[in-house]
Amino acid sequence: MQPTPHDPVRIGCYVCHCGTNIAGLVDVADVARFAGSLPGVVLARHYKYMCSDPGQELIVRDILEHRLNRVVVAACTPLLHEPTFRKALTRAGLNPFFLQVVNLREHDAWVHSDAAAATQKARELVHAAVLRVVHHRPLEIRQVPVHRDVLVVGGGIAGIHAALTLANGGLKVYLVEKEATLGGHMARFDKTFPTLDCAACVLTPKMAAVGAHPNITLWTWSEVVKVEGTVGNYRVTVRRKPRYVIEDRCTGCQECVDACVYREPRFPDEFNLGLGRRKPIYLPFPQAVPPVVLIDPATCIELKTGRCKKTCVEACGDRRAIDFHMQEELREITVGAIIMATGFRIFDARRTPYYGYGVFPNVYNALEVERLINAAGPTGGELILRDGRKPRSVAIVHCVGSRDEHTNPWCSRVCCLYSLKLAHLIHERTGAEVYNFYIDIRTPGKGMEEFYQRIQEEGLHLIRGKVADVYPDPNDGPNGRLIVQAEDTLMNEVVKIPVDLVVLAVGLEPHPDAENLRRLFNLSCSAEGWFLERHPKLAPVNTFTDGIFLAGCCQGPKDIPDSVAQAGAAAAEAYALISRGHIELEPNTAHIFDDCSGCKSCLPLCPYSAITYDEDRRKAVINEALCKGCGTCVAACPSGSIAQHLFEDEAIFSELEGLLSAR
Amino acid sequence: MVAPVTFPKTERAEICARDTTLETLLTTPEGRRILTCIQCGTCAGTCPYGEHMDYPPRRLINLLRRGRIEEAFRSDSLLRCVACYACMAKCPRGIRLSDVLLPLVKEQTLARRPEIPAELQRALQNTLRYGNPMGESSRKRANWVTSAGTPVPILAERQKPVDVLWFVECYTSYYPRGIDGSRATARLFHALGIDFAILGNEEKCAGDCGQLTWESGLFETLTDYNLEIFRKYKFNRIVTGDPHAHNAFHVRYPMYGFHYPVLHTHQLLAEHLDALKPKLVRPLRRMVTYHDSCCLGRRAGCFDEPRRLLQAIPGVKLVEMVHHRINSICCGGGGGGMWLDTWFKSKGMERLSERRVREAMATGADVLAVSCPYEIFRFEDALKTLGYDHKMVVRDVSELLAEALGD
Ligand SMILES: Cc1cc2nc3c(=O)[nH]c(=O)nc-3n(C[C@H](O)[C@H](O)[C@H](O)COP(=O)(O)OP(=O)(O)OC[C@H]3O[C@@H](n4cnc5c(N)ncnc54)[C@H](O)[C@@H]3O)c2cc1C
Repeated sequence: MQPTPHDPVRIGCYVCHCGTNIAGLVDVADVARFAGSLPGVVLARHYKYMCSDPGQELIVRDILEHRLNRVVVAACTPLLHEPTFRKALTRAGLNPFFLQVVNLREHDAWVHSDAAAATQKARELVHAAVLRVVHHRPLEIRQVPVHRDVLVVGGGIAGIHAALTLANGGLKVYLVEKEATLGGHMARFDKTFPTLDCAACVLTPKMAAVGAHPNITLWTWSEVVKVEGTVGNYRVTVRRKPRYVIEDRCTGCQECVDACVYREPRFPDEFNLGLGRRKPIYLPFPQAVPPVVLIDPATCIELKTGRCKKTCVEACGDRRAIDFHMQEELREITVGAIIMATGFRIFDARRTPYYGYGVFPNVYNALEVERLINAAGPTGGELILRDGRKPRSVAIVHCVGSRDEHTNPWCSRVCCLYSLKLAHLIHERTGAEVYNFYIDIRTPGKGMEEFYQRIQEEGLHLIRGKVADVYPDPNDGPNGRLIVQAEDTLMNEVVKIPVDLVVLAVGLEPHPDAENLRRLFNLSCSAEGWFLERHPKLAPVNTFTDGIFLAGCCQGPKDIPDSVAQAGAAAAEAYALISRGHIELEPNTAHIFDDCSGCKSCLPLCPYSAITYDEDRRKAVINEALCKGCGTCVAACPSGSIAQHLFEDEAIFSELEGLLSAR
Repeated sequence: MVAPVTFPKTERAEICARDTTLETLLTTPEGRRILTCIQCGTCAGTCPYGEHMDYPPRRLINLLRRGRIEEAFRSDSLLRCVACYACMAKCPRGIRLSDVLLPLVKEQTLARRPEIPAELQRALQNTLRYGNPMGESSRKRANWVTSAGTPVPILAERQKPVDVLWFVECYTSYYPRGIDGSRATARLFHALGIDFAILGNEEKCAGDCGQLTWESGLFETLTDYNLEIFRKYKFNRIVTGDPHAHNAFHVRYPMYGFHYPVLHTHQLLAEHLDALKPKLVRPLRRMVTYHDSCCLGRRAGCFDEPRRLLQAIPGVKLVEMVHHRINSICCGGGGGGMWLDTWFKSKGMERLSERRVREAMATGADVLAVSCPYEIFRFEDALKTLGYDHKMVVRDVSELLAEALGD
């Protein structure tokens, strides 16, 4: 019973209360009455929840009983329930595109407070939809196949977990990591809260599993430089920086490192945040994955001058893994889905100058202290002052670069807990008195409050007050203690505590690369710069770009358990997309009429390269499989020979007429 | 989400309406900020007299939010506030403590005291009666001009528009060490060919100490007077060597319809640095440490200009104290502190100028450079008290620049 364009138009109009969300402000009965008076409207109703089963059934029944051939639903955003109502139309045998949804909730009731004006606005919006829906035509949803491989960007704990989950499920995964090894921040920790289990013991097996997995192609020392295409079919270009060591040949024996002409390591070692030294040829850290050394062109004599004895090459011998002529490579891959797991960076404490970071040598940030108490760290796990002494008193300053309008206003969520962890570890290793200065201790999450209680029992000093100043004790000489000054707000007194070492519990902030990545992958960012999820509650790992998902701290500060949980969720979403095998595309594509003059002006404008020129017919041709319905060519065509499904001129002009009819 | 407050920054917008009172404060935009206080104690922790206050800003906010602010008036805590902006500059919620809440509480504290500390009382009375806190004759305000060594035009005698109206202020008009600074400024303006003039005897104190106590009566008398005088003349901008006047023009005068651009002398000179540099030919061979004044530094965000000027002087080696820029320590002269030394002492409070001078000495510098006339007196006095006056001298940045000029 498909209507033909010549059938008389019979519109059904439905106004949803959405509980009190809409009906609390908008007079829904009045809007329905008004709709009933419009030309072509056969019936108009208002109902408590149109999206409920009975609500949908109402539409189905009316279509059948009253031979409706157009439907207008005035409810919430079409992002949520347009698919629901389209299905209802299909069930009643009507083409789903004879529907128009009016957003009375987000565009009206939620953003206004004047009931009469909001009701008037609702009438106008409904009027526009009624005039528009007349011009709707039956359309078909397009299906395109989905490419089965997945790209994971970032090899921290989130990226590692997502990649393993997908690979274990049988999908082929490309894992691209910017640094020379997997691991991200977690690889730098000694122990992790709340269990105080050894970070390496839980992380390195997963890293090794990635390295050995037949379904994972691991590209470290690499970055994504280009992304084209859309969901199901992304074409991605990855730049592989030269490490001057051939991955397949290097066994990770490090004999080359021992043989380097530099007898002693003398260059600041990035993995240890400059607290230790490395040679020009080095393995980032003992459990690095891949276990492949790399050469730093900025410090290697051969790469700088071409005049080194190359003792490393000699040591490598028959393996012949070292290649000073290695060039960067560009690799192109095609994937169906992408998971972003690029993590965070720590706040640069120099932005809060009164804590003396970068000025007073014994002021460290928390990540540096993680390295100093790590058995694999530059001091073999000994927390020492810059002059080699052991600290007898230590202050941990919470909220550095968090909850502060001058730096970052958000709570970084993990600092309270890692500060408690560090307090425990520092006390355990050095016996020092530890003072934690905090604003509020925030320990939500399973097992976290219990962890807090356990650390409290160890007898650290908890002082409720944000540190206001850190300065050298004027009574000590150079290399003396530092005074940490704050108000102990629970005692109503200002305290000045002399300590040997100050730890700044720096907050988490978006990766400096994030803005660049946002553009590259066409994502959205929150005002702070975190990648934005599609919906904070209902689509927390989706993005506004179909087929791209989020995992870990690139979406906002979180701890390891949450990063891993989110990585699993992102993997599940990607898996669901790929195992469906195809995606459905809106039929909102552009099409060209026969009067095309062949001027070619649309060709270079198409961002998706969907338009070609037919030399024989001397006309432009649109490939509907590539067209994303952006409308650029439609607007640009000088002869008006391009139109777009769902956005025909008549439909839009009628809509405007409806909007303006009361003016 | 509230837009993040970027402070310090030179903003000309009204901080809050001038008729704001403690009763109405919480309903204003600033009040909404106060409602977001997280009681972190940064204000008390950074306050140079924090240990001496029963009611630091954090507790005032608590009382205000619970409708019990009167309790604070019984304490003399706020008399101890030297309006140094340290609490305001570091407040993680961006609450403009020193601009609004603290002066409002201070006004009430003063109003309810049986007596005001004598020195402060006298200074306020003098300012009202003579237009300067010292009680000098207002007809002698421009006398220093005769000894300036260079012509200093007076607007009333000049009869034509001028680019820079130089607002000289009180200490710099009457006291010998202040006049030294004015002479230096005049020489520098002259050397740079700046088109300037002063108000002469028509000028009266800008009234910053009045505004720091929200002393509306006194402050409004002075504001009305000065605004009236400004209206008589045509000029492009006001330049002053006194950060307190700069502050009054910058923060409170706009609430009364004032709209001229205001610069501190050192900001103006820094603008002309390219022209000035070749003229600085006499090497000074001094190790200099610079003290950031509260109003110019923390409040107006001017940290670099004075340092750039000092570094332009041949032979000067600039070293920093432990506390500098946003973390500078007040000389103790603001918020009426200039006239409360005796009272502070009676309460067993350390003189902040002495604390500051000790830090300056620890740098090994032999010159303490400043940009505020209050500081000349306070630091010279502190050096003497501590017995350091043979090791270190105090100079306004302008004085050092003028010294380095050729001819
Ligand atoms: C001092 C400190 C202590 C902590 N202690 C604990 C603890 O004890 N317990 C706990 O649960 N949590 C702790 N955390 C939190 C923990 O660090 C995070 O939850 C976790 O690291 C998040 O993992 P991630 O994979 O999302 O990000 P990351 O660990 O930051 O990993 C991101 C990875 O992506 C890579 N990358 C970035 N940009 C690109 C790009 N453009 N292309 C390719 N790769 C890229 C990075 O090199 C990195 O390897 C702590 C945090 C800090 C700062």
